[in-house]
Amino acid sequence: MSSVPIESTMPENCGISRRFGDLRGVQWRLDLGILPSSSSIDHLRRVTANSRRRYAALRRQLLVDPHVPKDGSNSPDLIMDNPLSQSPDSMWGRFFRNAELERMLDQDLTRLYPERGSYFQTSECQAMLRRVLLLWCLSHPEYGYRQGMHELLAPLLYVLHVDVERLSEVRKVHEDHFADKFDGFSFHENDLTYKFDFKKFSESLESENGFQKSPAKASSLNDLDPEIQTIVLLSDAYGAEGELGIVLSDKFMEHDAYSMFDALMNGAGGAVSMAEFFSPSPFGNSHTGFAPVIEASAAFYHLLSIVESSLHTHLVELGVEPQYFSLRWLRVLFGREFSLEDLLVIWDEIFAHDNTKSKKPVTNDPDSNSGVLDSERGAFISAFAVSMILSLRSSLLATENATSCLQRLLNFPDDVNLMKLIEKAKSLQSLALESNNSNSLLIHSSLYDGKKSVINRGHSLPIDSTSPRTPLKTVPESYWEEKWRVLHKEQEEQVPSIRKRWSERVKLRLSRTESDPSPSNKNEITKTPKPSVRRSLLEDLERSLGSDEDKDTAHHDPIEVNEQDVADEKVGEENSPKILDTKSPVRGNKEENSPKFLDRQSPARGNNEGNSPKFLESKSSFRGNSEDHENDPESSSVASNSSIDGNDAESSGTNQECSPLPVSDPPDGPSLNYTQNDDSVGKFAKGLKEKKILSGKFQWLWKFGRNGNEGTSDRSGAAEDAKACNGESGEKIVDGFKTVDACDSSCGTSKGEMDNQDLMVSLRDLGQSMLENIQVIESVFQQDRGKIGPSENFSKNGLVGEGQVTALTALKELRKISNILSEM
Amino acid sequence: MVLVLALGDLHVPHRAPDLPAKFKSMLVPGKIQHIICTGNLCIKEVHDYLRTLCPDLHITRGEYDEDPRYPETKTLTIGQFKLGICHGHQVIPWGDLDSLAMLQRQLDVDILVTGHTHQFTAYKHEAGVVINPGSATGAFSSITYDVNPSFVLMDIDGLRVVVYVYELIDGEVKVDKIDFKKTTT
Repeated sequence: MSSVPIESTMPENCGISRRFGDLRGVQWRLDLGILPSSSSIDHLRRVTANSRRRYAALRRQLLVDPHVPKDGSNSPDLIMDNPLSQSPDSMWGRFFRNAELERMLDQDLTRLYPERGSYFQTSECQAMLRRVLLLWCLSHPEYGYRQGMHELLAPLLYVLHVDVERLSEVRKVHEDHFADKFDGFSFHENDLTYKFDFKKFSESLESENGFQKSPAKASSLNDLDPEIQTIVLLSDAYGAEGELGIVLSDKFMEHDAYSMFDALMNGAGGAVSMAEFFSPSPFGNSHTGFAPVIEASAAFYHLLSIVESSLHTHLVELGVEPQYFSLRWLRVLFGREFSLEDLLVIWDEIFAHDNTKSKKPVTNDPDSNSGVLDSERGAFISAFAVSMILSLRSSLLATENATSCLQRLLNFPDDVNLMKLIEKAKSLQSLALESNNSNSLLIHSSLYDGKKSVINRGHSLPIDSTSPRTPLKTVPESYWEEKWRVLHKEQEEQVPSIRKRWSERVKLRLSRTESDPSPSNKNEITKTPKPSVRRSLLEDLERSLGSDEDKDTAHHDPIEVNEQDVADEKVGEENSPKILDTKSPVRGNKEENSPKFLDRQSPARGNNEGNSPKFLESKSSFRGNSEDHENDPESSSVASNSSIDGNDAESSGTNQECSPLPVSDPPDGPSLNYTQNDDSVGKFAKGLKEKKILSGKFQWLWKFGRNGNEGTSDRSGAAEDAKACNGESGEKIVDGFKTVDACDSSCGTSKGEMDNQDLMVSLRDLGQSMLENIQVIESVFQQDRGKIGPSENFSKNGLVGEGQVTALTALKELRKISNILSEM
Repeated sequence: MVLVLALGDLHVPHRAPDLPAKFKSMLVPGKIQHIICTGNLCIKEVHDYLRTLCPDLHITRGEYDEDPRYPETKTLTIGQFKLGICHGHQVIPWGDLDSLAMLQRQLDVDILVTGHTHQFTAYKHEAGVVINPGSATGAFSSITYDVNPSFVLMDIDGLRVVVYVYELIDGEVKVDKIDFKKTTT
């Protein structure tokens, strides 16, 4: 057969001309290095056949039937080969180990691509996948089986399957070229003289005419479409190596899938070998001493810093380490981020790039064995990852905490324009190559610093933002430890102020603003059922706060206020109508809490339309100010307090939203720092009176998050916050939403970053009580109104039914907060 | 590929303290699918230990068993084979092949597992196979001298059963293997 050079282009890809464009299975085998790039079909077939033979031998060797005696000996050593033998060499031992491995594989395989279960969940496919993976893991015991390998293998098998399907389609259309016309003939039919029997001649003429009538039939092989021609030649049963050489064969799909998988994992001698991404320890080549995944992530982070330094700094400041999301991206080559069809296009691109290690021009490193991404293919992978991050640029820059960043990165949007991503990646690829070559040292240093920054996370991170640019610092480890301790102490002092003793602050504020609530309160009582709910919430909140009994509450406001305080405080308890009864004990209970609530409430009351935000902001300002006070619960309680407001739906909404938040146990005795409280209280009161924004609450939450994040810099936060609050009255609710998102997650992260175990426990309680409060609020709303508009319509409904909308959004925020807390 | 462990006559704690250590090290959970016990454990602790090896446990009553609820005989089906269990003290003369064959026909089983003699035997006759796993602890028996600890592991695979016999002779575990094929009836 003559060589058939085929040029076919991918339908969507412009500019890439591939030899077997449509036959991905063959094309990928070429790209991965299994098939030679020579243009002769014969050669292709021979290489295919050889690789299949190797696989079959491996299979026979490793898949053990314990009944067959080892080495064919007739009298096996029974001491070794009995089923209970403890000896690791025994056949039974191997059998049991294989069974164990297969069990592990099955766990993953059953969950593979459920949405495409029609192919992937069939028993043949699963059996093939299982065998291939089992054999690969047995022949590479140093890697073992890691989750994710099955997801690398599945698309490979899929493209082979697609190829075979294409083959059968083509076969149907052009049968005569496939079927050897001598097969299946009976004796007489095969006889040439018989054929030329004149009696039959007319009949055959007719059949010939029949053939000629269908114009689509090509009379000879060379008249076919070149693509079809290839397919025919590749699958001719009589070509080189016979049936074993049929390149598109469904009998040998397993063999081909194994060789593709092996080549992919080993890198076929190139730089990118997927297996390294699965190994936790650095491999001999790596001179950085870090696991390859971390190296690779650092590499593409470095590329990001070159391309888009603002985003890079932003991510680094937030403490978003690349390996959090890139582990999944790299290990399955973006398999989890895209649908299967998109993934195939991406892999086309990735495999099209050569995988040979690029020569390093710089030789100042003696052991300059590059990073794991040091080839064209690696550079493309790195560039693609960067282009994915860039596509999320705006939303990443908008978030203010690591958790939501990670959420955005891990939940990659479905509707992304794949072609754009690929184009961008291609444009970045050369840059990536360059950066790989010249910056291995920098990567090393950044990794080194990055490791330290892991400890320092949670504090402001000037170190991290500069680390990628500075050469390796030979700083003793103790220096970092010390620095961390110093920062941590500062942080801790602020943290307690954030989390604990918010009750103290409440108390303080109450004493200051006690006059305010009463007049406003009376005005705002519009709905009777609400107060009871709020009361119960107050009770709950109070109970959950569990602080000491306070006798001072009595001198504060009217009963309603207290009740609401109580109700709000009792986050986590059900709201029972018995609130009134419990009011007095509750009052006594929360000397610290109720003042806070009242405090917050007063501003809320004073302002029907969203004082709560102001509260929150001042609250955050509190946090910024006083170190000894617990911030997190306080801020949340501020929010709740503001929402405690008697009768406004919105205030109740915000109230209820906030009330779950402060559910942290103030375990330690209150340590009041009244002086600073004074300042914040003053500002707080001012702020309260000025604001009329619905979304203020969200702003508060946002501030909350910011405060949590910028630990050291928050001292002066109070003043800023108050001013900021005032200045932000014009903000839209939608924006507020976003910021709430941000601050929610920032709350979560800021909390997460504190190592305080008590805080964790209290936060969990917080989350639970929040959930309960959410339920309370929901029940309340259902009682009151028939309709509960979706909180997404918040902005639209802004002017209508404000209170309800606010409450709904409050609910939503509560849910988010509780989610974050539960995640922690 | 079903692994069935057959053992019995442990007589713990009266005549033996426990299984031999070498046997215990071999018997790990997870490999064996069924356990057949001919009887005379005698106490509940042994029953619990066997249950940790495998949850599917079948026991018949021996004359010294302290749990009266075990049945006298039991039959079960594993794969293509029907197995019968009986302690054997009910069948006299003790250990007599013909009488045991009578019991086998009565129970209508392919493989009959009995004990009581504290001696391993495996007979094949036209109706089936009679296996005696012996005493797993090597407990004293009034009818057998020089009792060696032994038990039996059956590998049932389709129509073929491979019987592995584990005996502790002079402190060493000796393994033997017997093949039986069932003629399809």
